[in-house]
Amino acid sequence: MSDDDEARKHPRVHFDRHAPEYRDRFEEETRGFHEGCPLAWSDTYGGHWVAAGNRELLAFARAREKLSNDHDVHGERRGYQGINIPAPARGRGIRGGFLEMDPPEQRAYRDALNPYLSPAAIARWIPFIDEVAHACLDERIESGRIDFVDDLANIVPAVFTLAMMGIPLKKWELYNEPAHAGVYTPPHSPETARVVEAHRAMLKDIGATLHEVRANPRPGLADALARMEIDGRAPSDGDLVGALALLIGGGFDTTTALTAHALEWLSQHPAERDRLSRERATLLDPATEEFLRYFTPAPGDGRTVAEDCEIAGKEFREGDRLWLSWAMANRDPAVFPDPDRVDLARPGNRHTAFGLGIHRCIGSNVARTVFKRMLLHVLDRAPDFVCDPGGAVHYETIGVIQGMRHLPATFTPGPRLGPGLAETLETLQRICDEQGLAEPVTVRKAEAKIR
Amino acid sequence: MKVRVDPERCQGHTLCFMRAPEAFELSEIDGHSTPVADEVPEDQEAAVVEAVRSCPERAIGVF
Repeated sequence: MSDDDEARKHPRVHFDRHAPEYRDRFEEETRGFHEGCPLAWSDTYGGHWVAAGNRELLAFARAREKLSNDHDVHGERRGYQGINIPAPARGRGIRGGFLEMDPPEQRAYRDALNPYLSPAAIARWIPFIDEVAHACLDERIESGRIDFVDDLANIVPAVFTLAMMGIPLKKWELYNEPAHAGVYTPPHSPETARVVEAHRAMLKDIGATLHEVRANPRPGLADALARMEIDGRAPSDGDLVGALALLIGGGFDTTTALTAHALEWLSQHPAERDRLSRERATLLDPATEEFLRYFTPAPGDGRTVAEDCEIAGKEFREGDRLWLSWAMANRDPAVFPDPDRVDLARPGNRHTAFGLGIHRCIGSNVARTVFKRMLLHVLDRAPDFVCDPGGAVHYETIGVIQGMRHLPATFTPGPRLGPGLAETLETLQRICDEQGLAEPVTVRKAEAKIR
Repeated sequence: MKVRVDPERCQGHTLCFMRAPEAFELSEIDGHSTPVADEVPEDQEAAVVEAVRSCPERAIGVF
């Protein structure tokens, strides 16, 4: 590499978001970026740019034809490495769905899936989501003890995601383990072999689901993908499995992470919790956006520069890797005054927790709705909850998802409202099938009828 | 006050609708936003300005 090429990689930082200490140093490191170098070069992981400023991220979103999300897993195109830096060992050989594709291919997937995931489409499911949340709380409500991750925030997003996909609800545990443990288990862990096996079982079931919906069509995201064509041709099964695995990954771990962190914060700030409950009519929406900004469960995405170009005042060469840090941009003081403070009513909250540009999280409406419903039911049924700081377990590293493994809490016990989870899932499965709940909003407009 | 949503920039974040539900409508298919009317009623001007400030893509303009 020429000296000239090295000279343009400036300013230089050492940025390692996979290091365990990054979680504790996040605010300090982020301030460093914003004070001098919102766009810098780091030699870590083969060398890559790091964009930490809101303005810079917007410039990249608007230069979309110069950046690529492509993950060329079979070496058929330009060898690009997709959206993870470094590209993960697990799932090697499978593209991360349409998040690791560029238009027009990516567009075809979004067009096929959007009618299942739009605000209007998700609003139809609220009675279903409420029923799952109530069943989770019913399992714990008489005891006055709950683990908000294991007993609530893991379960509701998982069950709802499977319902939308058209996968039997009772399979949620088969998907739950790899979706969470696959993110938080470091490669050197003794648990890794077990997690890899669970991940393999999940991919196998996704493949089986594709075959099932082709043989016996049933509505849902799996059916939408099984029927889609790009220029008159069906995508490969590998790409479809990757897309379904992306929906699982996006639907499970992220909303769990947001919910756990918000509940932990509300336990630490009981006056704010009571205010949020009291003023929910006006505060629930902005508070949700503020939790998204402050905790940013999916902290960033990688890109590859697709042609020599200049963006945000920097010179890039084709093949350069780039990390777009949604999490650091969400603390940019140029856009968010007092950025390290949670302000439940924050105005002008143009956060980037769901990304920017054409790859905006396709499940953003799912995440918001499921989070809000879980939060409201906790505020109503366990309003005095206190999380146990000694039992809270955060992810060891937050390079992929800023999540939590456990969040135990106690509260004043209350009465059950209905049957437990297993019986509820049986009932909900029947309702899903009878009412065709997983149809797109273009086919079915009506809200789910549970009772 | 007039309002416009740039359809090339809007990505369906839905924050404008949260801030000014009477001034914007969201596509049933993909959640992308359009103004209910070009001309903003006086009693909605403050909400629309807040929607402008909340748009992650800076896709909304008032003039």
